[in-house]
Amino acid sequence: MRDVVIIGAGIHPFGRFDQTAEEIGSYAARMALEDAGVSWGDIQASYLSRMYLPATSGARILRKLGATDMPIVDIEAACASGGAALRQAVLAIKSGVCDVVMVLGAEKMPRGFMDPRMIYADWQIEMGMSLNPSYWSMRAMRHMHEYGTTDLQIAKIAHKNHRNSVHNPNAMYQKEFTLEEILGSPLICDPIRRLEICAPDDGAAAVVVASEDYARKIGARKPIRIAACEHTIARYSADFRCPADSMSARVNNEGPTEVTAQKAYEQAGFGADQIDCFEVQDTDAFCELEIYEELKLCPRGEGGRLIDEGVTELTGKHPVNMSGGLISKGEPVGASHLGQVHEIVLQLRGEAGPRQVQSAKTGLGHVLGAGGNCAVTILQA
Amino acid sequence: MTATDTIKPVRAGLFTGDLHDLSRIALAGSRCQDCQETTLGTNSLCPNCGGDDIAPVRLSDTGSVWSFTVVRYPPPGDYKGEQPFRPYALGLIELPEGLRVVAPISGDPDNVAIGMAVAFTPRLRPDQVVEFAYKPIG
Repeated sequence: MRDVVIIGAGIHPFGRFDQTAEEIGSYAARMALEDAGVSWGDIQASYLSRMYLPATSGARILRKLGATDMPIVDIEAACASGGAALRQAVLAIKSGVCDVVMVLGAEKMPRGFMDPRMIYADWQIEMGMSLNPSYWSMRAMRHMHEYGTTDLQIAKIAHKNHRNSVHNPNAMYQKEFTLEEILGSPLICDPIRRLEICAPDDGAAAVVVASEDYARKIGARKPIRIAACEHTIARYSADFRCPADSMSARVNNEGPTEVTAQKAYEQAGFGADQIDCFEVQDTDAFCELEIYEELKLCPRGEGGRLIDEGVTELTGKHPVNMSGGLISKGEPVGASHLGQVHEIVLQLRGEAGPRQVQSAKTGLGHVLGAGGNCAVTILQA
Repeated sequence: MTATDTIKPVRAGLFTGDLHDLSRIALAGSRCQDCQETTLGTNSLCPNCGGDDIAPVRLSDTGSVWSFTVVRYPPPGDYKGEQPFRPYALGLIELPEGLRVVAPISGDPDNVAIGMAVAFTPRLRPDQVVEFAYKPIG
């Protein structure tokens, strides 16, 4: 089967903007085309990742680049939408049907907690069980109980990500906070605090994906190989981040991150040990700590030790969320994974400026959300 | 038609027993006869194995807190809890039937702890809807 490469990447900053989804989406798409050195007319199919935008947003946004008769499809898989869309592009190219395609992620979201009717039943909303962070927090409380993970360790992750964001002009917040400020910020759902949690916002990111042959033919600059792009839904009772009403106390299935990462490692032919940089779903700071364990960066229960030892700092052995993560960038759901991919492309090209990971040759992007949707993409220079 | 005839469960199939006598109702569960998994409410298919040989069970009234959080901001949407809003504990309550149920825990949220014993407590809301929570016992 053909190798698939990213030949161009673009991004519209994440934050809150007056511009329409059409404006910010087409901005990122044009930047990706320009970066790839291909014209819109060369693209054979396009996929839009989005969750909150209305029907046929892909066609509405990309129409701005000019009339076309290509297939344009909207893809939705909650927080993993971007991975699901990228996977469609990979499949289209591997099958031989397409040589070069566009994958765009775009979102515009209201402020505050997400509209619960998107994912919860009415009775869950009425009984006060529709606050996304409450589910993440129950995971954190259990982890603290079983493994002795501390408030300080969770705060250290937020501290790291806020500090990294200072070097990312595309992040919504680009401000460093002290550990005291983080631990002094109000609790949202115990033990998760305001400065340890991501906010919904607006943003867009895009990549141009091509067959290796196509990239060679056009003389693409620094193509980045997609070594793996996997998307799964959580196994039975394996994740209560989704709006579950009951969970099994008998079954202990592997969580969606473990399952998806394992598939991606097998597809890539290498594992966490050989991956130089990571962008992961830090919906909240504890979530990142647990992901360390699920991606097999450390054994279960040792995520706290990993942050204590600085392993995931920008200068550590396995830097995580060099971009500042969702805690700093916000989570424009449809755009978030493509934003991670954009960051890793810059890292693997050596173009990430002050947040560059030294001689990064491989990178992993991870997203996880409602319904137990998880996607993992592994890129290789 | 009297007012009591309009009493409804917050979710169809969530309770077993006569809603007019809250002291005698319990949470309904569904046990798969193939894989033995029990899920909350009345379900016709097993979410674990897809089996359709399901037996109704009455879930135990007492359980223990497997994990919890304290919700410190009003939840979005049509929340029917206390007005004005007061922070409340939300827990995963482990029941002897082998499942953990997401539910509010009544009382002072700062006194809740993992492992604490709790009891099922149904509540009739002013809008004549029956919902439930757990309260600490012992």
